[in-house]
Amino acid sequence: MPKLIINPEHQIQRVNHLINKTESLQQLALERLITAKKPKSWNVLEVLEHLSIAFKLYEEKIEAALQKAPESQISPWKFKARRWQGFMIASQRPKGKKRPFKIKTLKRFEPLLQKNQMDKDGVEMVFQRFFDSYQRLKEQIIASRKKAMRHSTIVSAVGPIVRFYLPEAFEFLICHAERHMVQIEEILGHQK
Amino acid sequence: MEPESNAFLKSFFKDISLSAVEENHFLSLWKVLNFKQNDLITEAGSIERYFYVVMKGVQAIYLLDKKGEKVVLGFSYMGSPSGVFDSFIEQKPSDTFLEALKPSALLAISRTDYLSLFNRFPQFHKWAHHFFRDILFGRLFREVELLTMTAEERYIAFMKRCPKELSVIPQKYLASYLNMKPETFSRLRRSTAY
Repeated sequence: MPKLIINPEHQIQRVNHLINKTESLQQLALERLITAKKPKSWNVLEVLEHLSIAFKLYEEKIEAALQKAPESQISPWKFKARRWQGFMIASQRPKGKKRPFKIKTLKRFEPLLQKNQMDKDGVEMVFQRFFDSYQRLKEQIIASRKKAMRHSTIVSAVGPIVRFYLPEAFEFLICHAERHMVQIEEILGHQK
Repeated sequence: MEPESNAFLKSFFKDISLSAVEENHFLSLWKVLNFKQNDLITEAGSIERYFYVVMKGVQAIYLLDKKGEKVVLGFSYMGSPSGVFDSFIEQKPSDTFLEALKPSALLAISRTDYLSLFNRFPQFHKWAHHFFRDILFGRLFREVELLTMTAEERYIAFMKRCPKELSVIPQKYLASYLNMKPETFSRLRRSTAY
């Protein structure tokens, strides 16, 4: 597998795209947001909540790693993902409109929304949590542009079997969110 | 606003003639924004908030290709306009980044205030005509250069007109602007007289 080269600008552009895409979902009727493909699968709001939960599991670790990282005197970083981490990232990245390597979500990533009791305020809170999370992720990527990146690793949300340098963690989170945006399109496409 | 900022604006809009009251109003619409080296002034995917006139520093406007590599479209520097103009006017997410390659001070006007100039002062229509004509001619000239010249010819043509402000920015940005690899730019720099 060729080495994955990542840079912060590409990541910032993609996070903005995720935020813009989610803003467009706010225009949808409540019925569409709470209707899933199958009784046991997630609806749009649950997918968004899952993405907020996923980020929260990394937020403080990323913050701590950023605090520890020394300032960089050269231009913003460019990073080659390591083999195992590159594989983990690739397993999340959607291939066009397809989601490869489907895996069962661990319990602690489950969005525990009361799907039949969602009202306007509840919907707004799900969106706001998403925007707060991914705006924060973008701020962290921006902050990383002036830092040295091969400094400390962080333990991934699945445990010490995967440790990420910051650029790898950012990339993993973005690919994960892009994957779930494909899922949202599938859910909405199924409703037509 | 400081006298230096006012002087910059008067110079940039030198063909606009305003009364003292009008000028005060016009100058009050602008503010100075400062950026550190490598700050992103505008991000791809965000909406451009301002039209800028550069007081200090050098900025690059670039987009990312499919591999995420930067493709430099142009530069702005002291005395030139800056910003992502299509996003600013259309209020749609920008396809390009605007980055401060050196510490920068930019005079900024919001879209509402920019558009108000055309309603309040008809002279700005004439200014806009000349402004966009110059930009169009510049882009056409660059297109001809990119489509018809060899790398060496592009390098020579660029270096002949290159403002001194651009001599301080990393070569990779100049190379990308000239659609050549940094190694080619470096070789031409060593071996080509202009």
